[in-house]
Amino acid sequence: MNLFEKIFSYQLASRLEETATYTLTSQERAWLKMMLEQPAALHALDPQTLHKIGDCLLEEEIPQLQQALIEKAGSADGQTYSPLLRPLRLIMRRRQAMEIQRLNKHGQLIPTQYGVPWKLEFSMARREWYLLWYNLRTRAAMTTRLIHIQSVAEMGLPEDQYEPICQRMQEICSVERQEAVIQLLPMYNMELTRILHAFSCFDKRVEFVAEEQTYYIHLNFAGNESEYVLNRLRFLGKRVRVIQGDHLKRRMHETATRALARYKQNADK
Amino acid sequence: MEVDYTMAKESFDKEIQFLRLLALTGGNYDRQQFAGRLGISVHTFDKTIRRLKEVNGDADFADLFRYNYADSAEPVLLFLYRAKSMKESESRRLPIILTALKQESMTAAALLDICDEQLMDSHAAPPDEKTIRSDLRYLEEIGVICREPGGRPYRYRLNNDLTECLTREELIELYEFVDIMANTQIPSVQGYLLRDNLKKALKAAASESSDDSWQEEWLEPFSYRYHYDARILDEAHLYTLLRLIREYRFISFQYYSPSRKRSYTAQNTNPLFTQDSEPRRQHMLPLRVVYDHQYGRWYLLGTTPGGRIVKYRMDGIVDITAEEEADTLLCEQHTAKLDEHTRYSWLVDTGRTFTVRARFFKPAPPQNDFIQERVRMQGQWGEIIEEDSRSFIYEIKVNGYTEIRPWLRSFGSSCEVLEPAALRNSLIEEWKELMSDYESI
Repeated sequence: MNLFEKIFSYQLASRLEETATYTLTSQERAWLKMMLEQPAALHALDPQTLHKIGDCLLEEEIPQLQQALIEKAGSADGQTYSPLLRPLRLIMRRRQAMEIQRLNKHGQLIPTQYGVPWKLEFSMARREWYLLWYNLRTRAAMTTRLIHIQSVAEMGLPEDQYEPICQRMQEICSVERQEAVIQLLPMYNMELTRILHAFSCFDKRVEFVAEEQTYYIHLNFAGNESEYVLNRLRFLGKRVRVIQGDHLKRRMHETATRALARYKQNADK
Repeated sequence: MEVDYTMAKESFDKEIQFLRLLALTGGNYDRQQFAGRLGISVHTFDKTIRRLKEVNGDADFADLFRYNYADSAEPVLLFLYRAKSMKESESRRLPIILTALKQESMTAAALLDICDEQLMDSHAAPPDEKTIRSDLRYLEEIGVICREPGGRPYRYRLNNDLTECLTREELIELYEFVDIMANTQIPSVQGYLLRDNLKKALKAAASESSDDSWQEEWLEPFSYRYHYDARILDEAHLYTLLRLIREYRFISFQYYSPSRKRSYTAQNTNPLFTQDSEPRRQHMLPLRVVYDHQYGRWYLLGTTPGGRIVKYRMDGIVDITAEEEADTLLCEQHTAKLDEHTRYSWLVDTGRTFTVRARFFKPAPPQNDFIQERVRMQGQWGEIIEEDSRSFIYEIKVNGYTEIRPWLRSFGSSCEVLEPAALRNSLIEEWKELMSDYESI
């Protein structure tokens, strides 16, 4: 299998686009066949659709990866699909509202709510799906973990209301961005790529100051992402230091103090 | 059939390294430093940049690498796989053939006529029938076209059955499924390529249909946060390596170790761009490829000819060459041994096995116990062996504790390591250091 087929080339693709022509290769179909073997497929597609697709894939051979390819540090069940995605997308494509039954963050079932689903988001870090939606009664932006949703049902929404609600959601969710500067201690410079990898999912700029032999990572992130930045900082421990960003500094100090208190308490017993 | 073992050619390897550096540094680069790191001249570097810009068709190259998950789920780095250059004549001829075969099935002779007619104004010599036949052979081999039933002269057609047999609704649902799987599963490159083609199929279906319910936003149904963008670059080597593993073949390659042990403090250069003088060629028997979800990184594991276990990061591997075949029985023995040694690897550590025990503290009620959820989800084969209202104890048998340590530390004050004592003490030291560092704010 060659991922560098000339059929994928940009030169060819741009010419084909002029005549609205596209092509499908065996290896793309074989990949699809492999993915259709996962339980997610049964939730994502109708039996009839699956059947039709299956007929087109009869000749493709599933690449033999399972044996030699091993995944580590993934999530427990490897499940990255939720059966709720399909009904939610259907409501979203129709630009309708929904009736939602869900648990709150304490795990308690709360009375039915009414809202407009706006965005479905997957967090690679938590390996989990979230629904961002507009609460019609409180007019607030909500974020709900899909595993906390018990059921959703479509509900009519006047056509002229959909766009303004989406715009409102866009405004609420484009929160102010924060800047932080992280210093990599020079004695850990040899671990540079590993450390950059840990921050690779953020918007950033990397600066190297030759006189100090020191790297500085300028991070730019949304306010609601600071928890994950902190997670990464704890993950890397003493290799990195927050140079600029008071909130992060304070939180790191707090964490270290509390962690030490835990250890001390236990030692005293 | 010709087997191309050096599929990821050296120039591609250089581009991969180059793109990885760009992605990791957020698109900031110094021409001189980059060229030095890649072992190419600044002139070649500029040429590469020009070419990549052309492939990507974007005005501000550095902007591409600014992380922007909200815009599109298609990874920027996918364009590596679109960078293969082809002859100008070919890039004009193939689209004519494919577009013609989209309308109706045709023979090689009929296609030749069409090419002649459409390439009339071109300066190049018109193609001959042999060229057309070889194009058709190539397109058939990669599954893009298929031969109609019946004898000679053979008629060919575009093989887009997969998209053509579906209704628009079904096509949308398939697109959404592929979008999710490409973004959450490995391998993913073919998935992203398929996603792109399904997108074109959707657009075509929309323009043909009379109903005007089409929404542009259907093309980006989901967003994905905290993606490891560079991970798709290493899939360039994946299929070559998997095939060589299946064939029980030794391989050799150049290895640029990503974590060089030498001290940088003495030299006045940017370590990201320093390069080992000529790296030694490594010779090994590849047995397993490991993907680490924690960092989005790939490893190659195997043994030396002498049977010693060796591990390499895929991003340091350049210029893979197939070498002699290994004895099947010996291979199986080595594989069994490797599997045994990596059974308790948090990632790829094959050192001594320890039992790590840690107490995790639950958040104060009425908060949901998200700590336990996270431990159960990410704690691999470890188990929760004790639990009370305030905390629980997690235990895991693991090779060495270097690899699990960052994960434990990421829980901050919600995790207290109980055993082994050495790990416990070193974490205490580290928290002390961190506390004093942040004391002065």
